[in-house]
Amino acid sequence: MTLDPHENVANGEKPVAEFAALRRLLVGPEQRRLQELSEEIEARELTAAELADHLPEAIALRGSRDRQLGRALGPTIETALRESIRRNPREMATAIFPILGPAIRKAIAEAMAGLVRSINNAVDQSLSVRGLKWRVEAWRTGVPYPDIVIKHALVYRVEQVFLVHAETGLLLEHVSAPDLSVPDADLISGMLTAIQDFVRDSFRPAEGAMLRTFSVGEHTVQVEAGPQALLAIVVRGQAPDTLLRRQQDTLETVHLEFASQLTNFSGEALPFEPARPLLEGCLETVLTTTQPGAPRRLRWLRWAVPLFLIVAVIGGLYVRSALRWGRALATLRAEPGVVVVDASRGWRRWSISGMKDPVAREPSAVLAAAGLSSRALSGTWESYLSLDSAIVIARATRSLGLTSTAAVSLRSDTLFVSGVVPLEAFARARQGGLPPGIAGVDLRSASPVLPAALESLRQSIDAELVQFEPGSSELPQASMTRLTTFASRLRQLNDGVAALGASTRLVLTGRTDPTGADETNTALAQRRVDRVAGLLALSGVDTSRLILDAVATARPLPADDPAERARINRSVSFAVTVSADHRTARGQ
Amino acid sequence: MLQKKICMVGVFGTGKTCLVQQYVHSIFSVKYLSTVGVKIDKKEVQVGDQPVTLMLWDLEGRDSNRDVNGSYVRGAHGLIYVADGTRRETVEQLSEIQDMVTGVVGEIPSVMALNKIDLTDEWQLGSSDENPPGPNGVHRIRTSAKTGEGVEATFQWLAEATMRNPVT
Ligand SMILES: Nc1nc2c(ncn2[C@@H]2O[C@H](COP(=O)(O)OP(=O)(O)OP(=O)(O)O)[C@@H](O)[C@H]2O)c(=O)[nH]1
Ligand SMILES: [Mg+2]
Repeated sequence: MTLDPHENVANGEKPVAEFAALRRLLVGPEQRRLQELSEEIEARELTAAELADHLPEAIALRGSRDRQLGRALGPTIETALRESIRRNPREMATAIFPILGPAIRKAIAEAMAGLVRSINNAVDQSLSVRGLKWRVEAWRTGVPYPDIVIKHALVYRVEQVFLVHAETGLLLEHVSAPDLSVPDADLISGMLTAIQDFVRDSFRPAEGAMLRTFSVGEHTVQVEAGPQALLAIVVRGQAPDTLLRRQQDTLETVHLEFASQLTNFSGEALPFEPARPLLEGCLETVLTTTQPGAPRRLRWLRWAVPLFLIVAVIGGLYVRSALRWGRALATLRAEPGVVVVDASRGWRRWSISGMKDPVAREPSAVLAAAGLSSRALSGTWESYLSLDSAIVIARATRSLGLTSTAAVSLRSDTLFVSGVVPLEAFARARQGGLPPGIAGVDLRSASPVLPAALESLRQSIDAELVQFEPGSSELPQASMTRLTTFASRLRQLNDGVAALGASTRLVLTGRTDPTGADETNTALAQRRVDRVAGLLALSGVDTSRLILDAVATARPLPADDPAERARINRSVSFAVTVSADHRTARGQ
Repeated sequence: MLQKKICMVGVFGTGKTCLVQQYVHSIFSVKYLSTVGVKIDKKEVQVGDQPVTLMLWDLEGRDSNRDVNGSYVRGAHGLIYVADGTRRETVEQLSEIQDMVTGVVGEIPSVMALNKIDLTDEWQLGSSDENPPGPNGVHRIRTSAKTGEGVEATFQWLAEATMRNPVT
């Protein structure tokens, strides 16, 4: 600063300015020092309260500037920590347990990971082949597949998890596998801690050491101890290291999340119920098939096997469907009276069209008989007349009204019928109008059978017996009236049979009892037959249809008692024969 | 579920095991005692409206307190001192045991069972003992594990005491 003595002189203030300048020159440094001091004093008067306000900020500020603060505080904090741990190590352990645990384990895990991987690989190599074998076994034995897998492939299963209060041994929470019930978990929990105490007291191991695992049969109990709680798991099978890690994780989480509940625990387990899901996280079942880390080159098997099965099933279904289709067509083509014109096959539905003789079997029935489902088949059929011999025979059988008692064959265009044939068939064969494919019907070796009504009439006639007194050929009045109704029945049969184009004959057999000479008896028999024939003629029976046969004693009617036999043989008996006309209409 | 850890302590042969046996139906065999030194049973009792599960730790007695196992009583909510009324010394020895046990768990609700009251002929404690020996300030109940006398009352009394005790 330069001093200009003339500056203010002009306006009459010169002495004041000069004084100020002088003062500045003389006491300037002191004044400045004074100012600094007063500021310093003000700063000194910062109260504890103000310090409390600013301290965090100040520390943060300084901390961001350099490391001086940390260096300065370091020794003090170290001493404080050492002192604190010395006085109450448990407190400290409790505090750092959740933090330290994972860190330590992480380091160990890194080292172990390689080993675990190679073990997993070894297990998984044999996966696919065994898996298939088990499937086959399950299928063969009918045992559910999961059971087979468990039988062969159970690596381990965590069946129970106990969360135990370390100090009292009281059970805080317990979970178990779904199918397991553990009624006395609280007692087991107590014993678990008691055993810990026992081991500690008996073997006096190093500080903090404890019984971590013990085995009972195929079960292993694995105990992890934290400062305030134990986590014990009961494992069946071979527990891997990963499980131990999970157990430790869970225990740490419990310590972290339930810190105050653990500290204040006085017997009430209710506050630990929220820990259930945590514990349940430890319940797991691991089979060789579910073990993680399958080698990459085998992983494709996981989807390739099902895919292959699906393709195989679809392919199998397709081939089966094609085979069935081929069989269906062949069956239909071989069926008489069916002509397949067009056939098409969709994925599910089949449609066949063609021609079918009315007497041919229904195509769907043909297929059903061949074991082919008709559900998928739809058919369109035009009617036509088949000249296939089987169809011609079937048609003729139907139109002649033949039954299964008749045997039918076709030679060129003549139908040969043998066996028992309804009388009407004879009439139909004669009347003409033979079905297509047939020019004539040969019924010579067929024997006619009457329609039911006429047949019973015939039987009643056959059952009739006209009896005589010994040695007599005279008839009592009663017998005569009876013969009159008999004659009317006979006429009725005649008319009925004639209407069907056939004729009847009545054989009258005259008999005598065995007494007397043969000649007398023959004569008597003849008289008896003649007598009855005469009476029938009187009642209007056509005598040309009567055949008289006086057998006398030759073919007696049977009876066990000789007297009875003699009585029934003094008689005339009847037998109706029906003769059909064998001529048929030919050459239509 | 409220649980309380109760420990039976006392000189050998005073009837701790028999008292528990009389009180509950055990699932563990008595064999545990000799192997592990403790057997645990449980009994559910009712204190007012509150159901409480007593976990009863039956400790193996020793002939001297030197060996009474401190770690087993850790965290206990209640103690049952058991003495044999026919052996006066078993009562006196309880004082030492009390010192040791309270050293581990502090002052907690306790009751003293003067057991084998059924053996009246051999009873060595006056019914109105002016200055009874044994642990100080502990409620006393005469019991018999044989007849069941006072057994239920002892456990019930202690259950209620643990519920009253603000510390536990
Ligand atoms: N008469 C009678 N005998 C008893 C009674 N209680 C126990 N005993 C008997 O006393 C003996 C010892 O009983 P325990 O119950 O084994 O005694 P403890 O206190 O468990 O003994 P330790 O386990 O060795 O400490 C047994 O023979 C019992 O039968 C009782 O109330 N009356
Ligand atoms: Mg005992």
